[in-house]
Amino acid sequence: MRRNVSIEAVLIVQVVFLVGVVTSLVTAGPSLRGRLEREFTGRPVLPVVPIPRETPLTIEPLYDDPEVVSDEELAAVLKKVQPRFPKSQLKPNFVEHALRTWWLKAEFQDPDVMSGQALKDYLVDHGKYLASWGNDVEPLLMDRPEGVAIRWGKETGASVHHDHWLASLTEAGVGLHEPVFTPSRQDMTIYNVLQEALRDFRVDEVETEWSALAFGLWLPPTKSWQSNNGRELSFDILAQRLMRGDKKLGVCSGTHRVYSLMVLIRLDDEYHILSPEIRTAAYSHLERVRDLISESQFPDGHWASNWADGKVSVEKPISDEAFKHVIATGHHLEWLAIAPTDLHPPREVILKAADWVIRTTTEQTQSQILERYTFFSHVGNALSLWRKTHPADFWKKWEAEHPYDPEAPVSALDVR
Amino acid sequence: MSGAVLDRPPMTSPKPEAPVADLVTFEERLPQEWKWSRRLAGCVLALGLVYAWFGLKPLWHTDVWGHLNYGRWIVSHGTLPATEPTMPLAQGVPFVDPYWLCQVLGYWTIQGLGVAGIQGVSSLMITTMGALLLHRCWQRTRSMGFAYLGLAAFLWLDWSTLAIVRPQLAGLLCFCVLLHRMTSPRATTIDWVLVPATHLVWANMHGSFVLGLALQGAFVAGRALDLLRRTGALRSVWHDHFVRRWLLWLQLSAVATLVNPYGIGLYLEVWRVSGNPNLASLTEWQTLDIRATHGLVFVASVVALAMLYRFTPRRIASWEVLTLVGLALASLWSARFLSWWAPVAAVLGTVHLHASLRRWCPWQAMPAPSPRSGKWTVVTLGLMWIFLGYSPLGMRLIHGKDAVLEKSVSEYTPLGAVEYLRESPPEGLVFNVFEFGDYLQWAGPPGIRVFVNSHAHLVPREVWLHYLQVIEQTAGWEEVFDRYGVNTVMVDTKYREPLIRRMKDNAAWKIGYQDSRAVVFVRKASI
Repeated sequence: MRRNVSIEAVLIVQVVFLVGVVTSLVTAGPSLRGRLEREFTGRPVLPVVPIPRETPLTIEPLYDDPEVVSDEELAAVLKKVQPRFPKSQLKPNFVEHALRTWWLKAEFQDPDVMSGQALKDYLVDHGKYLASWGNDVEPLLMDRPEGVAIRWGKETGASVHHDHWLASLTEAGVGLHEPVFTPSRQDMTIYNVLQEALRDFRVDEVETEWSALAFGLWLPPTKSWQSNNGRELSFDILAQRLMRGDKKLGVCSGTHRVYSLMVLIRLDDEYHILSPEIRTAAYSHLERVRDLISESQFPDGHWASNWADGKVSVEKPISDEAFKHVIATGHHLEWLAIAPTDLHPPREVILKAADWVIRTTTEQTQSQILERYTFFSHVGNALSLWRKTHPADFWKKWEAEHPYDPEAPVSALDVR
Repeated sequence: MSGAVLDRPPMTSPKPEAPVADLVTFEERLPQEWKWSRRLAGCVLALGLVYAWFGLKPLWHTDVWGHLNYGRWIVSHGTLPATEPTMPLAQGVPFVDPYWLCQVLGYWTIQGLGVAGIQGVSSLMITTMGALLLHRCWQRTRSMGFAYLGLAAFLWLDWSTLAIVRPQLAGLLCFCVLLHRMTSPRATTIDWVLVPATHLVWANMHGSFVLGLALQGAFVAGRALDLLRRTGALRSVWHDHFVRRWLLWLQLSAVATLVNPYGIGLYLEVWRVSGNPNLASLTEWQTLDIRATHGLVFVASVVALAMLYRFTPRRIASWEVLTLVGLALASLWSARFLSWWAPVAAVLGTVHLHASLRRWCPWQAMPAPSPRSGKWTVVTLGLMWIFLGYSPLGMRLIHGKDAVLEKSVSEYTPLGAVEYLRESPPEGLVFNVFEFGDYLQWAGPPGIRVFVNSHAHLVPREVWLHYLQVIEQTAGWEEVFDRYGVNTVMVDTKYREPLIRRMKDNAAWKIGYQDSRAVVFVRKASI
């Protein structure tokens, strides 16, 4: 006759079962518990990355070289790239570039020029954006459950590049607790934008240049963090992503990748955010870039958009539009200004490039500058870095000695 | 008186004939437990043929090599990786490895016994599954003919699964062990340990352990339903011996599955993997195509079972219906579940076919006892020796003879192309077809950076979409190579002829290696 299972056995098994399940839940790490919660409740996992500072890091320029650009030349270029924008339908991309060039502290005697504060206010205040664009476009600042996302892409009134908004404010020195006013919330700050950017970043998305830059200026000494899909990210991964693929690919003919990579190496000097192997690889990558730009510079000093082809770029030139030469030349001068000398091409290459870009910029009319403002803004920043200064500081000193004259045209070209 | 007197030679009686060996006397001296039956010899013959067949089958060119590669990583690092450690494009992706025990054991096997070891162990697993199902079919029908039929049905239904060596075989073996124990007419004390222990091992070998819990759940629910239908009283369910036992086994098994490196996180991983969008691109994870061979086989088995259940005189237990319907629906949703449909369908089909046929053609109620004698013991042991001794594994163990690699791997394994890459290590990332990723990582040059391997669920979504963009040659596919810095491309000749043609037409690439199985393209100017 079959013996039934005793009640005692049943109870023992229940105890074993409960102890097993409870132990398993208790010993599960917080991230696993969060993921379990997400699967059962459908609520998103929102990892929070500790931000160890209230103001972002800055990468100080290394050289004060008047032979590259004199005071007068710098002033002439900076005058061209002052943020003199129309109030209506003000492009966020222009404002971002202006802010990262001129910084928060920029002030101008010319009332038509937006100050650093005004530039910042436009980007962080939906009300100001709305006043410029009206209700017909989507907001720039988008509410998220625990953060703020920035609308980016090619659509009207968007930021154009992923995390460029964040990187620009970061480079401009805007603090972590700076208020950000979204369409429906008044209590958000740069901190919330940064956390949202950290969460939604994907290594394999098309543009990672500005994400890497922004994260680099906020996070060190933190080396790794988790995105909202559980992937463990690190500066090693970001550096590898910046080095990945043909050098010509990436925004602005691949030059932004180079700049961001140089920033990571500079940060690594102080905070050791890269592993030795990746730092070596990144350094080698920039050495290769150095060699390529040494070979691909045209006789007049500019680089073309296919600078990564080396001497082939000069031997078999492609038909580039002129502004693409400004992009390549200005951006390369920018990263070289923060790079150690062993990453520099021969000195005459730098001098020729600077001469070309100064001449080209000062020859533009104001409307031509405005049409391609973002590219020329990099020229202004690059040349300031070569004088170991910042546009805001230099301009303040220059204007003190050369006060603004409301009667004078912006440039002689515009008189013509 | 004359003449010498010669001594007569002594009279000798004729030599008696040497007695003929009396086999009856010989057998009677053998202990009873060593007198094996003719039936057993027949089973060994059948299972031996199964063992021999699968033992000689070449290893498939996917999966197994990837798992061995992970096993190599685990053994050399002495720990399980927290993030994907082998695909450069999957760096940082969290890695929950439900197959770790299979991977480690597999690696040790190939280290110690070579490819023959892998072939031998996998065929032993299949043979064990066959033995369990053969035993259960015989036990339920008392007919060896029908038992062999059940074995054949299982092999036929699960052919495509059994042909590929991978941790799923271990999962299937555990499933067969569980099915065997659950359908046993009489549980033993050992089952109280065996069933949870099977789940413990299962949860560390393959993610299908949840099916074991589901099977046990079907038994409990089915039994409860039967009792409720019969008695209408819930009390009868609680007091039923089977319900209690199976429910407790289920609980112990569930707790046993938590004994793994990830604890309860393993359940989450199984759930997440099954919903990974990348897997939708893989045939075996897609909904069942009834026009394909495996789909037709499935439909045939469903129709056959439906007819059997219509006409069977046996009482149909609810667990049978729950299990068959559950697995059938799962198989329609994802072809991968066919693997677990097969053993259940084979056993139940055999049992009900036997009952149905007996109804129309009754034969002897009890089979004639199978004669036992030392002769059959010798035959059985001899068969075992032959099958084991002459298998690749046996050759390796007994004669120290290694299996020839070319004959031990499938005809699609890119031996030549990988050898070329070992001699000319590629610079940077290698774009490879999914099917070659595993073997490339296992046998390719050390540190080879492959685009993808068969663990598609670990590949970041954008990377997988770019992979498909190249494979399907959709707009902009060539730029993927530039974007990822690919300097070497390796594709198979069997299915990628259009891609090969277009690569040949591309002036930026040259052929580095080509044979009947694979083509390797190398970028003329590396980036």
